[in-house]
Amino acid sequence: MIFFRRQLPLLITLVTGIVFAAQYYVPHPASEEMLTTVTKWLQIIGGFALVLGVTSLFHIHAVKIRRKEPGWGYSFVLYAAMLGTIAVGLWREGKETVNGGMTAFGWIYNFMMVPLQGTMFAILAFFIASAAYRSFRARSREAAVLLIAAIIVMMGRVPLGEYLVPISGDITQWILNVLNASVRRAILIGVSLGAVALSLKIIFGVERAYLGGGKE
Amino acid sequence: MTFAERMLKIDRRIIFAVIGLCTLLPLLYPVGLAIRISPEVKAVHDYIESLPEGSVFLLSLDFDPASKPELYPQAVALLRHAFKHNLRVIGMTLWLPGTGMANEVITRIAEEQGKVNGKDYVFLGWSPGGSSVIINMGQDLYKAFPTDYGNQPTKGLAVLNGVQNLRDVSYVVSLAAGTTGIETWYVFGKDKYKFELGGGCTGVIAPGLYPLLRSGQINGLIGGLRGAAEYEVLIGQKGRAVAGMDAQSVTHFAIIVLVILCNVFYLSIRKARQAQGQGGHS
Repeated sequence: MIFFRRQLPLLITLVTGIVFAAQYYVPHPASEEMLTTVTKWLQIIGGFALVLGVTSLFHIHAVKIRRKEPGWGYSFVLYAAMLGTIAVGLWREGKETVNGGMTAFGWIYNFMMVPLQGTMFAILAFFIASAAYRSFRARSREAAVLLIAAIIVMMGRVPLGEYLVPISGDITQWILNVLNASVRRAILIGVSLGAVALSLKIIFGVERAYLGGGKE
Repeated sequence: MTFAERMLKIDRRIIFAVIGLCTLLPLLYPVGLAIRISPEVKAVHDYIESLPEGSVFLLSLDFDPASKPELYPQAVALLRHAFKHNLRVIGMTLWLPGTGMANEVITRIAEEQGKVNGKDYVFLGWSPGGSSVIINMGQDLYKAFPTDYGNQPTKGLAVLNGVQNLRDVSYVVSLAAGTTGIETWYVFGKDKYKFELGGGCTGVIAPGLYPLLRSGQINGLIGGLRGAAEYEVLIGQKGRAVAGMDAQSVTHFAIIVLVILCNVFYLSIRKARQAQGQGGHS
């Protein structure tokens, strides 16, 4: 059975890896049609990934509730919210509005999910301010440079900063367009080269972690 | 414990209250300071302005409700501009939790501008796969989205007349809160299917997209609430983003003052300890 567990997946990876790397450079209709078909498969697999994710979430929280682990009440809330939303969503066929009127599913989305997610993101501002006060200190020369750059950018990105110190906007643009862009580009090039190297290792079977750690 | 040490260990709820007030007061009593237009936002505006009427504009709303305060005003401003300029608008999203919000904003602004669904605009909704959706649209838009969000077949819609795939789209703008977003649209879309691409994003990810902007991989970038406010000024229709700029100004300054204070206290403590150390050795 080692053929099905190891050699066949490696062979599929090798063949598809090489074929689709080459496909990018072949604009022939047959090559394009093959890409269309395979990306359609990927979309379908993406749909299954959603089912897997929901199943996994259910399982993790079911275990928490069964063992009455600390915070199991939140898992119960998650169960109730998720099952309730799925039930209402199926009942209203996933539609948020019907003939201009809001459905129960739309109500859950607009008046529960949207404000809850917005609130979660909004409280970040408070924690960032608190964290900046506690930890953004000029402990070294490098930290001092970072601190000064951050203050300039914070000033240059708001009208009040540009009003009080008119040049802050131009300095901010320079920091973002020159210093920031060049450093980010260096990181991107490094990451991209790493991704190419990893892809080659996967295609040629050097990296096999994706096969899992089952018995040989 | 010295005064500086006490101040460094200040109750964080005081900082929360300061930030809360700095956000609330400018919203209640706006000042309306002038907003300077940055070249990256103007580039998106000017490109839309340069398109002939009837051109196809694809707006991908790749964000969820968590990023609504920053990206929703961008979507509103862009849609108003596109509809006023009589472009054919295709809306979609690569983020499942943002589908309802994306549908709401497109429908609302279209109604406001007197546009008709299926004729002047279409909302395709969401499809699983992320980057695969982009490739699929690049190959055949109708295979990627056989029906729109309202379940009407996309084939035959007047708004999609002459559009077979992404090569037939004049301009794509992705409003993104992360991945999948602008970079994905570039790597899997623009690079292969050769359409012009612009971006809008949250303030926190904007610096990471400057390499794409500088190299021309995206032609413009609307960054955060500030970017949305600039766009509102450019189209001459001020909205929530401009209203929020005073609050953002004061909040930024509050954080700057807090950081400066924290460093003053920190340096004074360090200096006192160094002096104590020297005193101890002598």
